[in-house]
Amino acid sequence: MKSRQWLMAALCAIIPVRWAAAHHSTAMFEWGTEKTLSGTIEKYQWTQPHTFIWIVVPDTSGGTREWGLEGMSPSWLGRRGWGLHSLNPGDKVRLVYYPLKDGRPGGFYVRVITPDGKTLEALPTRN
Amino acid sequence: MGRASLNLGCLMMLCAAALSACGANNASPAAAESSSSSASAPPSKPASPYLALATLPDWGGVWDVTFGPPQPGAAPPGQPKLTPAYQKQWDQYQALNKKQKGLNFVSEVASCIPPGLPQSMTEPYPIEFLFTPGRVTILIETYGVTRRIYTDGSTLPESPDPSFQGTSVGHWEGDTLVVETAGILPETSPLNGINGHSDKLHITERIALVNPDTLQITTTRTDPGVFLEPYTTTTDYKRHRDWKIMEYVCEQNNHDSLDSTGNAAFSLKHTPGG
Repeated sequence: MKSRQWLMAALCAIIPVRWAAAHHSTAMFEWGTEKTLSGTIEKYQWTQPHTFIWIVVPDTSGGTREWGLEGMSPSWLGRRGWGLHSLNPGDKVRLVYYPLKDGRPGGFYVRVITPDGKTLEALPTRN
Repeated sequence: MGRASLNLGCLMMLCAAALSACGANNASPAAAESSSSSASAPPSKPASPYLALATLPDWGGVWDVTFGPPQPGAAPPGQPKLTPAYQKQWDQYQALNKKQKGLNFVSEVASCIPPGLPQSMTEPYPIEFLFTPGRVTILIETYGVTRRIYTDGSTLPESPDPSFQGTSVGHWEGDTLVVETAGILPETSPLNGINGHSDKLHITERIALVNPDTLQITTTRTDPGVFLEPYTTTTDYKRHRDWKIMEYVCEQNNHDSLDSTGNAAFSLKHTPGG
C-alpha cells in the first residue's frame, strides 16, 4: 500500500495533470481490495453525491473506533432496493468495504449484511 | 428538421381545417338568430405548435448508459489521433490506467465541478429527454445538468460564450436528432484521458433509437488543437420507463476533493446532512 501511495505521489509530482474521470474519484481507496467490518450503525446519511455510513466498531484494545464509509448515491442505490431507512442507528451489521489508502478508519462500502441476514449490494457488478 | 417542419406544416393545415369546420358547425342557425351582433364565427384558436411533437419518436422514460459492448454493427472506437501535446497526456493516462486497473483518477469533479460536454453525457446516472416546440431539453441527473438544444432553425452563434455544456442547435433527420455544439469551456475534458481542449472544440451528436428500448448516441469530437482527425465514440443507453430523475446536489455531503498538489483527498469530518 505504501509503495503504491508513493508511486501515485511521485507520478502526480511529475505530471501536474488532473485526469478526467467519469464521476467522483476513487483514487483514495484501495479499490477492489475487500475488507470486512462488524459494528453498530451510528448514522446513515442518505445524501448526494454519496451516501455515508458512520459505524462504531470494537477495536483490539477493548474500546471502540468510529469508521466513516462512503457509498454510491441515493439515486443509484434507490433504484436497486436501498432506501432512506435501509440502515438505522443501533443496527448491528457486517459490511464489506474498500479501505482508504492512507490507513485512516474509512473507505467505500461495497455491500452490507443487515441484522436480518439480508445482503444489500451497493456497487455495480461490473466493478 | 426537414421532416419535423413538414409534419408541423401538415398538422397546422389539418388543424386549421378542423378548427374552421368546428367554427362553421358552431354557427348554427339558432346561434345566429339569438345573437345578431355576433353573426360571424368565433375567432378560431391558432393551431398549437405542440401538435407537431406527436410526430417525433418516443424517447419517454429515462435512459441509463450501458457499459456493455456496443450494438451489433457499431464500430468500436479506435485510438484517437492526437496532436503531440495531447498524445503525451494520453500516453501518460494509459500508463496510469494500466497500473490502476482501469479505474478513474482524480479530477475537478471530485470538488463538485461538473464535467463539460461530451463527458457529461456518459455519467453513471440516467438522462431524460423533453420535447417542446423548437427545443429538445436533456436533463442529466449527475450534477443536475440541463442541456438546451434549439431545434427552431437557429444556427450556432459565431463565437458563443464558453460554458460547460456549450451552445447547442439541433435538427431532425427522420427519427435521428442531430445536435451541433460549440462554445465549450476549454478546461473541460473532451475524452477520458484528455484534459482540456481549444476554443474550437465542436461536438456533433447523432441520437436515435436502435431498438425499442436502446438509444444510441454517436459523438464526434472535432478540435484541430487536440485531434488530428475527428474522433467518434458510440454510447448505448437503456430505457427505464419506471425510473424518475432524482435531485443531485453535489455540495450536500461531498467528502471528496482535490488537495493543493492535485491528489485525491477524502474527509472523515461529520456533516449535518441526511
